[in-house]
Amino acid sequence: MDNINVLIIEDTPAQSDRLVKTLEENNFTVVGVATTLKEALSLFYSSKKIDIVIIDIFLNGVPDGIAFAETINAVPNASKPFVFLTSSTDRQIFQRAKLTQPFSYLMKPFNELELLYAIEMAVEKFYAQQDVFLGDEEDTVISDEYLFIKKGKSLKKVRITDIIYIEVEEKYCNIITEKEKFVILISLTKILKLLDNNIFCRTHRNYIANLEKIEEIILADNLIILSGNHKVTLSDTYKDIVKRMRTLR
Amino acid sequence: MKYKILIFCILYFFPLLLFSQEKKEYSDFEKIIKQKSEPYTSELNFKKAQSFFLRREWDSTLLYTSKQLSLTSKNIQLDNFTHFLRGYSFYKKRVFNESKNEFLNISEDFDYYLHTKIFLGAIAIEQEDYTKALDYLLPIEEITNEELLGINRNSIEGNIGTSYMLLDRYHDAHNYIQKNLAYLEEKRDTIALVIAYGNLAINYDYLDSTGLAIKNYSKAYEFSRYIDDYDVKIGTTHNMYEIAKYLNQPEKAYQYIEEHNQWKDSLHDQNEVARVLQLEKRIAVEQKQQEVSLLEAENKVKEAQKDGLMYSSIILLLLLGTGVYFYREKVKTNKIISEQKENLDELNATKDKLFSIVSHDLRSSVNALKMSNSDLVDNLEAKNLEKVNTLLHSNSAIVNGAYNLLDNLLNWALLQTKQSFFEIAELRLFFIVEHVAHNYKALLSEKNIQFENTIPKKDKVFADQESLKIILRNIIDNAIKFSKPEDSIKIYTQHTHEGFCDLVIEDTGIGMSEATRQNLLQETIVTSEKENKDIIGSGLGMQLCKSMIKKNNGNFFIESTLGKGTKMIVSLSKIPPNG
Repeated sequence: MDNINVLIIEDTPAQSDRLVKTLEENNFTVVGVATTLKEALSLFYSSKKIDIVIIDIFLNGVPDGIAFAETINAVPNASKPFVFLTSSTDRQIFQRAKLTQPFSYLMKPFNELELLYAIEMAVEKFYAQQDVFLGDEEDTVISDEYLFIKKGKSLKKVRITDIIYIEVEEKYCNIITEKEKFVILISLTKILKLLDNNIFCRTHRNYIANLEKIEEIILADNLIILSGNHKVTLSDTYKDIVKRMRTLR
Repeated sequence: MKYKILIFCILYFFPLLLFSQEKKEYSDFEKIIKQKSEPYTSELNFKKAQSFFLRREWDSTLLYTSKQLSLTSKNIQLDNFTHFLRGYSFYKKRVFNESKNEFLNISEDFDYYLHTKIFLGAIAIEQEDYTKALDYLLPIEEITNEELLGINRNSIEGNIGTSYMLLDRYHDAHNYIQKNLAYLEEKRDTIALVIAYGNLAINYDYLDSTGLAIKNYSKAYEFSRYIDDYDVKIGTTHNMYEIAKYLNQPEKAYQYIEEHNQWKDSLHDQNEVARVLQLEKRIAVEQKQQEVSLLEAENKVKEAQKDGLMYSSIILLLLLGTGVYFYREKVKTNKIISEQKENLDELNATKDKLFSIVSHDLRSSVNALKMSNSDLVDNLEAKNLEKVNTLLHSNSAIVNGAYNLLDNLLNWALLQTKQSFFEIAELRLFFIVEHVAHNYKALLSEKNIQFENTIPKKDKVFADQESLKIILRNIIDNAIKFSKPEDSIKIYTQHTHEGFCDLVIEDTGIGMSEATRQNLLQETIVTSEKENKDIIGSGLGMQLCKSMIKKNNGNFFIESTLGKGTKMIVSLSKIPPNG
């Protein structure tokens, strides 16, 4: 599991210092702190690893924060979740900020919990999977690239292509990657819907395998051997998978 | 031929003979008509025509008879009767050609065919066709009296005689005139006698029996003396004058001409008098007319005046009405304005009071900081670090209190000016409470107060996040403020109201009296009485809470027992505001 990479856009050092401190305490990685719109844009487009942006609406007295959000939203594929940081309760500026959907904000002064909550909300809203982190039933938001998993107070991510297979156990899913193995809370139907069908395929009632990690299929034993010598069962219902393997090759 | 002028004078009277006679005789005749037409009254139109006929309304009679004829009944007698009525009506209206046509339409078997003939004869005389008149009248003369049904035979004979005379058949005429004369003498109709004698005289004249003629002229003259008819008198005197001239008696002629002129003058005078009378009458009528028109004009003027008075009074009344209305409106507005003024004054006073309290609080906070800072400097110089630490802690507490006060003040101002962003959304109460309570962790542990948030994660409400946080901050702040060390604060939810989720903040602190509780729930900003002198507050926080709860469509309750603790209950909607 990797840390979430955060870009901070904030012109007041006292505020940004506190933000950096709080985020790092909660295992986030701060990729950079920008103080102007120009700096922010260059940092955002040069660094590919950014997962979330925290934006102060007012930079040097002008609402450049909103301008930044509007700019990154103009290219939907390149856009990332963001949180507006503001001390202003001004109605008009809020109305303008609201137009940059999805809209999440954090009111100054904020405490640790409010900051983490705002980040979670931004991720949920951005990937349109709301009410995941707040309830008791689920703890994972799935994007094209990552699984965002709530781990205690903090948020973690796992690259989807790193997953070798998923073992489903009632409400839980065991995620097995090359390096580690962990449990997430998500329903089977949801995970099937959100994962790329070309890569992930069901092999058994309880197994979802990454097709790219398949080393060998032993039809006689109903077994699939995956990289790292992981084994999953292949039930009769899902034997069609063999045909797909051929077409893949 | 010597008497030609004389003849003309007398001739004027002939048609009169027929007419005057007719009027009397024919009322009997009409009675008979009524009686005889009775069988035909089953025909509605005929019945009407008959009744109009008897009332001598000729036009109506003509109308209904034409209706009756248009029905083309097969009863010839009925048709004859109808034609008869029409003929008679036309005759009375003196439309002789139409009348003649109607009478000619009557068939010979009609009961009153003889009458038809008489009428035709009369029409012929009227139209001066004397030969034809004789053709009609002569056969009737033969018929016995009974069959004539009330028509006077003598008038017929008179007519025949006159007709003969006018046709210059004087021999034929002679007989009839004499017969008529005999009848008239019997009836003593003087005017008719004068005329008859005159006629007889003319007849003799034409028959060249001058002696007889003169004798009859004289007779006519004698009779004329007993009557008042000037025209007749003028005629007879003129005749006598002509005879006197003829007999070469100048004195007598002069006497007659004198008399003649006298009658002429009388006639003239009479005419004059009549004219003068008529003139006077006209003038009188004109005068009356003038008076009437004058009165009318006066009336009109009066009417106009009356109308004018009425309109002006109506207008005045309307003006008065509108005046009263506007006056009342003005009074009303004034009342409202004065009420508003009172309200405003009160609000202003409250604001001033609030101002003084807030500034007093702030001043004492800042003053405490000032003092503490100078202490800090002293202690730092003395390197008394432990003392410095406690001082810093107390400073931080002071600043926190002041900050909260200022925050409330700002939020209050924003709420009043409606500047803040407000958006009702679905919120999970648990997290909001956690976020707010997070700031009080230090304070809670310092005071050693146990804090518990047992709200289930699934409890959701519809509210504005920031204002809900302000509400919670104030309530939790109060709960801590009014709690003793080792007390506990619990936050949980209950669902006692339909559609609402009640958020309960329960503490085991000092509680409050019923009076204070009521005071807190009132709509006033400043709470006058303080339960605890050590713990000061403006009451602004509580007021802000109430206003914000109201704005979030929620309700606010307080349950408290003095010395045991307080329950602050915020009831929030579980239903979206628009649905």
